[in-house]
Amino acid sequence: MQADNKLIKDLTPEIEKTSLKWYITFFTFLGFFALGIYGLIQQIDKGHIVTGMRDNVVWGFYIVNFIFFMGLSYSGALISGVLHLFNTGWRKPVIRMAELITIISLIIGPFFIFFCIGRLDRLYFLFIHPRIQSPITWDVIAIMTDLVGCFIYLYLSFIEDFAILRDYKGLKVPAWKKKLYKILSLGFNGTEKELKILANARTIMSVMIIAIAIIVYSVLAWIFGVTLQPGWHSTIFGPYFVIAAVFSGTGLLIILMWIFRKVYHLEEYITKRHFVNVGVLLTVIAAFYGYFTFSDYLTKWYGSIKMDSILIDKLFSDYYSLFIFANYIGIILPCIIIAFPRFRTIPNITVAAVIALLALWVNRYIIVIPTLETPFLPIQDTRPDWINYSPTWVEWSLTLAGVSIFVMLFMLVSKIAPIISISEMQEQDKDEILK
Amino acid sequence: MKKNISFTLLLIFSLITVCSDLYSQDKTLISPYIQLQYFKNTDDQRILKTTLTYSLNRMELPLAGMEITFYSGGDKKEILGTGLTDDKGAVKLELKDDLKIAADDAGMWAFNTEFKGNDTIEAASADISVKDVTLEVTYTEPDSIKTVTVKAYTSGQGKELPASGEPVLVYVPRMFSLLQIGEITLDDNGTGSIEFPGDLPGDKEGNITVITRFEENATFGNVEKQVQLKWGIPTDYSHPTTKRALWTKTAPRWMIYTLTILLSGVWGHYLFAIISLIRIRILAKRREEEDNYGK
Repeated sequence: MQADNKLIKDLTPEIEKTSLKWYITFFTFLGFFALGIYGLIQQIDKGHIVTGMRDNVVWGFYIVNFIFFMGLSYSGALISGVLHLFNTGWRKPVIRMAELITIISLIIGPFFIFFCIGRLDRLYFLFIHPRIQSPITWDVIAIMTDLVGCFIYLYLSFIEDFAILRDYKGLKVPAWKKKLYKILSLGFNGTEKELKILANARTIMSVMIIAIAIIVYSVLAWIFGVTLQPGWHSTIFGPYFVIAAVFSGTGLLIILMWIFRKVYHLEEYITKRHFVNVGVLLTVIAAFYGYFTFSDYLTKWYGSIKMDSILIDKLFSDYYSLFIFANYIGIILPCIIIAFPRFRTIPNITVAAVIALLALWVNRYIIVIPTLETPFLPIQDTRPDWINYSPTWVEWSLTLAGVSIFVMLFMLVSKIAPIISISEMQEQDKDEILK
Repeated sequence: MKKNISFTLLLIFSLITVCSDLYSQDKTLISPYIQLQYFKNTDDQRILKTTLTYSLNRMELPLAGMEITFYSGGDKKEILGTGLTDDKGAVKLELKDDLKIAADDAGMWAFNTEFKGNDTIEAASADISVKDVTLEVTYTEPDSIKTVTVKAYTSGQGKELPASGEPVLVYVPRMFSLLQIGEITLDDNGTGSIEFPGDLPGDKEGNITVITRFEENATFGNVEKQVQLKWGIPTDYSHPTTKRALWTKTAPRWMIYTLTILLSGVWGHYLFAIISLIRIRILAKRREEEDNYGK
């Protein structure tokens, strides 16, 4: 398969040779990752006493990070799936990034569950003694199904690019990479029949990915929603989590677009139009997210159930600044920045995305921890210093390790495959893409 | 030269010996926590229990295999017995019925427990003073109200002295621990009563165990009376009313069908995608063969 030489060179900056900047960045994040591993070793050696989790607040940073990363994965699936189905022209430079966000987040997220589990040696019980009635079992099945589906979908999108890289004579890469492209391309040659088979498979998988992603994140929400805990027991939790996930993932997509555009000088391919379009998506999702948040808290506040009222009081006192940041600033500021044309610049949209992403992490935090500090059935005879949660350096280091491994995996993929799909970019005239 | 080497070796050996001495002197001994408790059970068996533990990183850890000696008497210490602590750091000694324990002027028995220590653990001791109390519990149903009536007294100068003002707790054993039914504060006559709830599940026949006790009482220690009564609601746990529910071993049928249909649908589509990949590979292989044949 052939492609424009300039296109290949522009979209594969790290495949042939690795820049010094790449090494410095990679090893910096590797250092952070190593710190996280050290923290994990301390935790395995001394037990969960090294974390902030105690009898009252049994879930902390690890569950927050799990929900956060799973949310990112869902949004990647939704964006790439929906944009593929609607066949929007402008999606092509960003769809690969969205697919990669999906896979990488799906790989990282479950590890935080492993960190949270006290008896990892009993993990296999989930498989040999499953309870179909348990939302945990549903979550395990859903995540495994989603992971397989997303891998298949990502691979389908890579086949044409691997074929192009296999056939590109000007590509100066080691023999093992050439062999890898040859194997992974499956001998694809871009014939009419092959293209038809591939297009059908991608369409089917894009529909499945959307459905699976909705189910996965709803199941995750139901783990909380089916309990009687104040703050969790809500019928709206399923769609609320789905919308929040898309919100965070869209923010991350904008951030990644900005990074890759800046680092690899892809101004020609990732234009202001892409930022504005994804930014508008962010604003629309922010509006829905704000609506769901308001609806959820309004019904809890109005119902005046004792423990719900205690929780809301706690959110507006002990967690006031976090609550305002997550549910006001995190929604309103991105909306203002993107809604008004005079503010719609690439840096501004990226800042809005950063705020949205951070706000969504904090949102997960104030969903998990304050509820555990105000349980449905008050815990008797508990130690006062166990009532409130305070994360330790171990949890911070593992959070940083999760973010680091996310960046590192992205960087490693950029060494093997193009971050922007070459085949998609050359399908249409660039003017059509950029209009 | 030889003298220098010998002197150097002697110096190094001396340094090592001194350092190891200093090191062993610097080792800090474990400071244990020792607790002595007195128990009197339903059969009026009297038991002394010693628990030996130590604190490490805010955790209480047991000291197993340690020799504990039990004594009675205040000034005149009489050895009652010895024992080794188990893996929970506890050792018990049953006091024989015919054991004559001298009481002081207030009628209190003094007991002492001692751990003599070793190279790594400091010595420790603890003592308690208890008064022998008689706890009588009756279970009646006046006007169909289940009632637990308690009478407690000590014996002194041939008289019954009521244990007035002392709290007595009533429990029922449940699945994981004891459920407290209530607390009785004994009146001036050393008596008191409490209503027993009529809605507690018992076994198949409705049997339920009722435990009445002085718990960690400063004067009497731990004194307990236990009895099994038909005061529970007959409950057959082996045959739940529903065989398929959220809480039973087998899930509801609709749940299994829904999950199977959903997963079959999804993985069926995955299979379609994988077959598409295989078809692409077959087409590519055929083309390669045709190209090779053409050559």
